[in-house]
Amino acid sequence: MRAPKTLDLFAPERLPRRAVRPPVHPVQPRGTPERPARLSQAPLWLAAHLPQMTQASDPVVSRALHSLAVRAQRFTPRVSLAPPDAVLLEVRSSLHLFGGVDGLRRAVAGECAALGQPAILAFAPSASAALAGTRAGQAFTVLEAGQLAGALAALPLAALRWPPQQIERLTRIGVHTVGAALRLPRAGFAQRFGAAQLAALDQLTGRAADPRERFEAPLRFRRRRELPCESDSHALLAATLHSLLEELSRFLSARQCGVLALECRLWHRQAAPSGCVLRFSAPLADAARLAALLEERLHALTLPEPVRACELRAGWPVPQPMQTGGLWQPGERGGLAAAPGVELIERLRARLGPEALETLTLVADRRPEAAWRAGPPAPASDAGPQAAPCAVHRPLWLLPAPRLLRQRGGLPRWRGALRLEGEPERIETGWWDGREVARDYYTARDGHGRRLWLFRERPPPHHWFLHGVYG
Amino acid sequence: MSADGQRRTAPSLSPARADPRLERLLAHPALWRAGSAVRAAVWPSGFAPLDAGLPGGGWPRSGLIEILPMRFGQGELQLLLPALASITRRPEARWCIWVAPPLQPFAPALAAAGVALPRLLIVRARRASSLWAFEQALGSGACDCVCAWTRQAPARHIRRLHLAAQRGNTLGVLFRTREAAREASPAMLRVALEPRGEGVRVTLLKSRGGARGALDLTWPADAYGPQRVP
Repeated sequence: MRAPKTLDLFAPERLPRRAVRPPVHPVQPRGTPERPARLSQAPLWLAAHLPQMTQASDPVVSRALHSLAVRAQRFTPRVSLAPPDAVLLEVRSSLHLFGGVDGLRRAVAGECAALGQPAILAFAPSASAALAGTRAGQAFTVLEAGQLAGALAALPLAALRWPPQQIERLTRIGVHTVGAALRLPRAGFAQRFGAAQLAALDQLTGRAADPRERFEAPLRFRRRRELPCESDSHALLAATLHSLLEELSRFLSARQCGVLALECRLWHRQAAPSGCVLRFSAPLADAARLAALLEERLHALTLPEPVRACELRAGWPVPQPMQTGGLWQPGERGGLAAAPGVELIERLRARLGPEALETLTLVADRRPEAAWRAGPPAPASDAGPQAAPCAVHRPLWLLPAPRLLRQRGGLPRWRGALRLEGEPERIETGWWDGREVARDYYTARDGHGRRLWLFRERPPPHHWFLHGVYG
Repeated sequence: MSADGQRRTAPSLSPARADPRLERLLAHPALWRAGSAVRAAVWPSGFAPLDAGLPGGGWPRSGLIEILPMRFGQGELQLLLPALASITRRPEARWCIWVAPPLQPFAPALAAAGVALPRLLIVRARRASSLWAFEQALGSGACDCVCAWTRQAPARHIRRLHLAAQRGNTLGVLFRTREAAREASPAMLRVALEPRGEGVRVTLLKSRGGARGALDLTWPADAYGPQRVP
């Protein structure tokens, strides 16, 4: 069955000598359906079936399936949920890393055991076959598509989880196993049981593609845990939170991420939930450091009632670039100062609140109150573009708001007479944003020899204000 | 106090001008002199006469010092500013932290004085927690310089702060008013100042291994010169 020559632009005859010939596809036997697009490597599916979870209306059970899927992402990025009771992993490219089929089987079984759920594991080239095998209780290992039909032959039809009436009709014509169903003539099978069932059989044997929706773990970590009893004991609370933080740490390290914000909520019987929000200056994923910071905050928290449950809500995961360890200790010659700086900032923030720390940046504005901005400290020491500093000498201290001064004979007074010095500087700007200023700024000296920065409003009634102190 | 300082200014703070051969001999690093015992690293203060009077020739790099103006705003920050500018502009600069400043630090003036604003961190804290924050910052090893403004600081707290500053290899600066000069203090260096003309009179109340006495500093011409209106 060759393609017509006129259409084959890359026919071997037209290629120059020594050119690479396209691979010759194996000739397919007449009558077989078209094969799915070949992957570079045929897939190998591992189905993990949790027999304890057959009755799956319980949300707790589906949560266990979910956490198994999260853990399974350690082995391969291609994880699919097969509700209600199984998880599928595509593991062909992971075999070598985890010690072959046996090593992988041991590792996945270990993860299931850690969840308290014994599992049946089966390997097969098609996802449906692996799933049907485990659901029938057979932990087989089939690595090649050619052996699949033999392994499936003995499985009962119930393992396919088809609708009961279909299975009943098949049983009535004497078909009890998958193998018997596969031996039925294809055309007749499709006519009697529907094209959908025929497609399902094709997927079972790997003839048809079996796309599976990839499992995506939730992006933000949010988990709640009930305390064993209502308690206001700090030790019990800390232990519960610590196990939650360890889960958070695993969640983050699987993504090579850290969090910049973490909210802890404590639920009570009557009172509204209390809690605290931690903000970090750099992405953080380490459970021990998170616990230390959280405890610092919890010490300052007063509980209205005993705590019933606690909940952690993490902010968006932020990629945490791996850093090369330094040869020098911090503080030594050439040592990085960043690491202890981050720790200090987090400790101060945890105790004093997230708003307590700020760095200043310049804003190109002539109005003194608008010429700077306070912001949170930058995670790295990137300076960013800075506005050019003002050429005119300015006071080092600014009052939070201009302070009205009394006056005598048109001259300002503040705890005694003030002596004006130098020429005034006029600042008249800001008409565009509704905070217009029209002021004449003076320096003045008070009775203690301090230099002050005053201004006189230009519009009447020409009040005097104190606005700054030269330090 | 000031009259006393006036009398002692010239003899105590100007370095002895003796035989140059003797000078060369005395500059030998192996020679230990009781009068200038402090060989610790220092930050130049930016004022040559002050450097001559301070032990080691500048502000110490590690340890707690006190600056005691008569009242807030008499030039105490201006005195420290050249050192702060040179500290924060180094490429390997650590943080410079101000704990509980009494007013809003005015960023354009700091930038104009050469302070690298990204290295400057302001910590807002109430009085109860400001000493805690001061000690944490001093002892963390993450700061080159930590400044704090406080009224109440008993001597045992200051000793604790001084030890933290040495542990963190940090210059700690405590701004207090002049009344505090009456109390004893374990700080390395205590500097009183009062405004005088276009500058300030600095009195070294206590300096380990340095001179004592007073000297007059004049601010650089551009600092308080007549304002230029562009």
